[in-house]
Amino acid sequence: MPGLPRTTPGRSADQPCSDVASALWVFAVCHAGAFAELPSGAGHPEGGPVTLLRLDDLLSAVVQDVPSSRFSEEVLKQRLADPGELESCARTHHRTVTAAAEHGPVVPLPLATLFNGEARARAALCARLPHFHAALTRVRGREEWAVKVSLRQTGTASAPSAPQDAPGGQAGAGRAYLTRVRGRERERVARHEQAVAAAARVHRAASALAVESVQRRPHSPQITGKDRLQLMNAAYLVDRGRALDLATVLQRAGADAASADVEVEVSGPWVPYSFTEPVEAPDDSPERAGSRT
Amino acid sequence: MTQLDFTPAGSAAYTPGPSTTNLADILERVLDKGIVIAGDIKIDLLDIELLTIRLRLFVSSVETAKRAGIDWWETDPALSSRAAESALAQENRELRERVAALEEGAGDDDGGETGEGS
Repeated sequence: MPGLPRTTPGRSADQPCSDVASALWVFAVCHAGAFAELPSGAGHPEGGPVTLLRLDDLLSAVVQDVPSSRFSEEVLKQRLADPGELESCARTHHRTVTAAAEHGPVVPLPLATLFNGEARARAALCARLPHFHAALTRVRGREEWAVKVSLRQTGTASAPSAPQDAPGGQAGAGRAYLTRVRGRERERVARHEQAVAAAARVHRAASALAVESVQRRPHSPQITGKDRLQLMNAAYLVDRGRALDLATVLQRAGADAASADVEVEVSGPWVPYSFTEPVEAPDDSPERAGSRT
Repeated sequence: MTQLDFTPAGSAAYTPGPSTTNLADILERVLDKGIVIAGDIKIDLLDIELLTIRLRLFVSSVETAKRAGIDWWETDPALSSRAAESALAQENRELRERVAALEEGAGDDDGGETGEGS
């Protein structure tokens, strides 16, 4: 029912008790009236339409009613312990946040931000209104680009085989073997250093165009594959009009680095997930993660 | 070779998300970033991060991981060059020991590996 105020049939919106038949999944915060309802396809397949919940004159939350049978604490813990379920939940969250961002700037909330009803959601979110206002201002008209720099590993990563075919027991064979090993290690360290320098050049080039940047921890070889070692996993907040400039600059930086088996990978635009944390973070850290009791 | 996986052809219009959205990229964003609000349904982010570690994804922040007593990155060659060096040193040491053992064994029983013997 587009255009109508948010209605939730069968449930009193302000019901604060914990045994309600549905929960409220909050995806993001955006400007009030950014849209009425996202097209079907957004949100969790088990839930209702993705709508807006008004927070104050200026801000709304992007919310969806989801059945408790699938989103209670116990059920969710089990579901998210399953890699397939975790992936589909994460992708749904991301897809919905991204769909909302087509209507204006959004501040994404972490996966599984769930409340027992609109009143609870409004109370919790309104306590952080200044943060939301600041974050929306920070990301307005900007997008996030992810840039990764990796070193392609040549076939020497595994230890060379022991010289089992060496006849007799000459110590010389062992020393020659050690010398070969040391030589390869030196070569590997040199390649690594060159690649680190290339990553630094890529970062400088991107930073020159970006408003802000964040360095994330590089992905492990389990994700990237044994054939590449990720050295940089960065995100840049870029004015929307500058994406082409960024592409050009990174292409140049990547081409300069290509000789050293260095790979520059760019993806985007992302909703600016990495740039919505409160700037005065230390005071907020106790509220993060572990202390959500 | 340089790989740029986005198309600069995309105009000023907002393109919804990158075309290549790998799970690790999504997880590190939806789990670890942004303004965290305490929810009524307590899915501890730390739990989820531990799950992703089970999935072998490096998504948790250093800060949260430390709180959980996880410090593998300090010894993971992928995450610090210092660790990479110490990994090399360790590999070197192991190889030396292996070579020494091989040489010792070869001296004792004249060749060790008997498969190729006449």
